[in-house]
Amino acid sequence: MLTLERVSKTFFPGTANAKRALDDLSLHLEAGEFVTVIGSNGAGKSTVLNAIAGTFLIDAGRILLDGEDVTFQKDYRRSRVIGRLFQDPLSGTAPSMTIEENLTLAYLRASGRKPLLGLSRSDRAALRDRVAALGLGLEDRMGTRVGLLSGGQRQALTLLMATLVTPKLLLLDEHTAALDPATAQTVLALTERIVEENRITCLMVTHNMQSSLRLGDRTIMMDAGRIVLDVSGAERSRMTVQDLLARFGSAVDNDRMLLGRS
Amino acid sequence: MSLILLRGAAEQGFLYALVALGLYLSFRTLNIADMTTDGSFTLGAACCATFTLHGHPFLGVLVGALAGAGAGFVSAVLQTRLKIQPILAGIITMTALYSINLKAMGNRSNVPLLRVPTVYSIFESHLPGALRPWSKLLLTGLIAAAVAALLIGFLRTMLGLSIRATGDNRTMVSASSIDPVYTTTVGLCCANALIALSGALIAQYQLFSEITMGVGMVVIGLASLIIGEVFSDLLFKSPGVPARIVFAILGAVVYRVIIAAALSASVAASDLKLVSALIVAVSISAPAVVDLLHVRKLRKEADRHADA
Amino acid sequence: MKKLFAIALSLSMILALAACGGAPASSAAPASSGPASSVQPQEEPVRIGLLQLVEHPSLDEIREAFMAELEAAGYGDAVVDYQNGQADASLINSICQKFVGDGVDLIVAIATPAAQGAAAATTEIPIVFAAVTDPVGAGLVGADGKPDRNCTGTSDAIAVEEIFALAEKLTPGIQTYGFLYNLSEDNSVSVIADAKAVCEAQNIAFTEATVTNSGEVTTAAQSLLGKVDAIFCPIDNTVAYAMPNLAQIANEAKMPVYVAADSMVADGGLATVGVNYTQLGKQTADMAVEILNGADVKDVPVQVLDEYSTVVNEETAAALGIDPALYR
Repeated sequence: MLTLERVSKTFFPGTANAKRALDDLSLHLEAGEFVTVIGSNGAGKSTVLNAIAGTFLIDAGRILLDGEDVTFQKDYRRSRVIGRLFQDPLSGTAPSMTIEENLTLAYLRASGRKPLLGLSRSDRAALRDRVAALGLGLEDRMGTRVGLLSGGQRQALTLLMATLVTPKLLLLDEHTAALDPATAQTVLALTERIVEENRITCLMVTHNMQSSLRLGDRTIMMDAGRIVLDVSGAERSRMTVQDLLARFGSAVDNDRMLLGRS
Repeated sequence: MSLILLRGAAEQGFLYALVALGLYLSFRTLNIADMTTDGSFTLGAACCATFTLHGHPFLGVLVGALAGAGAGFVSAVLQTRLKIQPILAGIITMTALYSINLKAMGNRSNVPLLRVPTVYSIFESHLPGALRPWSKLLLTGLIAAAVAALLIGFLRTMLGLSIRATGDNRTMVSASSIDPVYTTTVGLCCANALIALSGALIAQYQLFSEITMGVGMVVIGLASLIIGEVFSDLLFKSPGVPARIVFAILGAVVYRVIIAAALSASVAASDLKLVSALIVAVSISAPAVVDLLHVRKLRKEADRHADA
Repeated sequence: MKKLFAIALSLSMILALAACGGAPASSAAPASSGPASSVQPQEEPVRIGLLQLVEHPSLDEIREAFMAELEAAGYGDAVVDYQNGQADASLINSICQKFVGDGVDLIVAIATPAAQGAAAATTEIPIVFAAVTDPVGAGLVGADGKPDRNCTGTSDAIAVEEIFALAEKLTPGIQTYGFLYNLSEDNSVSVIADAKAVCEAQNIAFTEATVTNSGEVTTAAQSLLGKVDAIFCPIDNTVAYAMPNLAQIANEAKMPVYVAADSMVADGGLATVGVNYTQLGKQTADMAVEILNGADVKDVPVQVLDEYSTVVNEETAAALGIDPALYR
């Protein structure tokens, strides 16, 4: 489904601040794989997601999505088939529009409807059911301004919006990091359920080492723009947080990661 | 105030309301301070006047609106592709439009329409005699209502929702496969088309178009919009798009009625601008004043409880 | 509760506005029926709506002369509602609608946009315009120059030929004229068109420097220095405001500035063969009186002022070294 071939990216080249964020990185994801990504600050985790999404153009290498070369495609074109969630729970929904309007927008654009059409009554009922399926009680508040909801609720909505029409790839960039433990748990559970139900290919960045080993079926660790660990299957299920620490010492020597809220 | 004056104020209010609606689209929905307004208003008037002079009043109105869309397109390109700051982009277009408007009027600064049929005269001729004095009010009211309905419907479509989202949360938009350049362009084109439509209809209403007609239009439009918002906030807890649009029209009418009332009360015309500034200031600050009074009441009660 | 309060507030505001002003709310005023003339019974004073386009010395002069002549003709007790249009089209509309609603017997409009606004507001109440340079072009009268609806008045066509003749007399040998004016003022444009025609007929070259506001006059004037032999400014409000500045620049460069209004000569221009605005106001009043006394508007022809007076600014002339004998 997703292939990165020898991707490199340097920010601020030629200046004192030059940073080689991605260093000849190669990665391959099969359809339906759920991969978690960990690493300390500056390792390049978010950069990888940004590169795949097209927020910037890479310096070298290729990016292939479902066989198509998207290396030079604009971000809004790629996002037709890529869903994204960000760390900031406020960034995925439009605050002055209601829940219904946000979802309508997500649904219309994802299903490729003509620009001047609206939503039919049966469509609206179907949307309401999807909201109800989240289990957060939001289906009774479809006319509420999204700006009035809590971060967790908005993040849940963003997740729903990103998966209304199953995307080819789902990119999650520490999407529960800014939430309190209980809400983070809820959103994480939702994530697992939705990804599993729809067999979405998913790349999830997390700072929490326990989650990274528990969720999904493959874990990647990054450091200085490279992949330094790639485990799956039996080897992964045997792995513990201690093992990671032992092997990679400084690469994971980070309070946030060690103490990571669950 | 005489009935004729009041009626005239309402008629003008309905026509200038289109400017307020255009600004609702650019200023409130897209969050762009679009200074093209002064220029596109006159552009609509200029194109319409020229066509009307040659005997095509309806075509004139249509051409005027389309010309406004063109002006909006130019501003949009300047901002989105050439990355010029929005306010500057609007000013650049507005400045260029001065010369273009003169050309549109055939290199004259004033095109009189006293002796040619206008949409108003044609509409009036189709009405029974008793209704004739009310023909302009009817027509302007109908136009305002139609435009409002179209705008409300448009903002419910995917394109309309995309435009709303672009002004609300730009990060979300490109992550949602919406091209913000496209939505901004469409939004500015529609906004300026509305403003130019207003100019075109006003030119036919006042029976002439003048090169300086648009000066200060953005201020008047914003004032009408804000007055409308103040009223809609008083009546609704959280007004949605339809409420905002309807009240924008009301705001424009109220603004013109206030001017007419001041005139009628023999306020010197030179003081009218001061009067209208005061009215706008009072209406905008009304919610804040109400809050202040409320806080004072709370404190008084708290003091009373503390003493008791 | 809050909602009720808000609705009540809005309603009472609008009602209060409608009620204030005191003028009768009747719409049966002359706007709906009756011929263009209006004969008033002697007991009730005549009501006149006077709309002046903008504050300007020449326009003020016209208004004052009008009022004086009105009184002299026996209508001293007429109730005149004087309004200044602030050069704002929507305000002009509202003022004219106010006049119509108040049921005035006559509307006097000073300057073209004011006259056009009045003409748009009513086809029944007689309108007497003053200082409209081109009534035919403005659509106020028929193509033949005769009043064919409810408008008539005085026109201040500028005697460009006379001004150029005077120029040739005072500062002979002018090969090139520089025209300094605001393109967006209709009066200016029509006068300059005449001036260009005269220049072509007399084989004089010309060039233009146009401005859009008073602040640009300095640069425009400086751009003309060294390129032309004399500057000509029509009755242009924009240039009039900057006249003292223009005069200073021109005098320093020994450049004669010929103008089309006597007020601009007073401000430092060299000379003009001008319309006497007091005379214009007086004639306008006479026409108004004729209509108030019962004449039909269509029978009162447009009067183009043809009495001109030469006005020269002696200080400016001295600064330019012109022999006083030429104009005394």
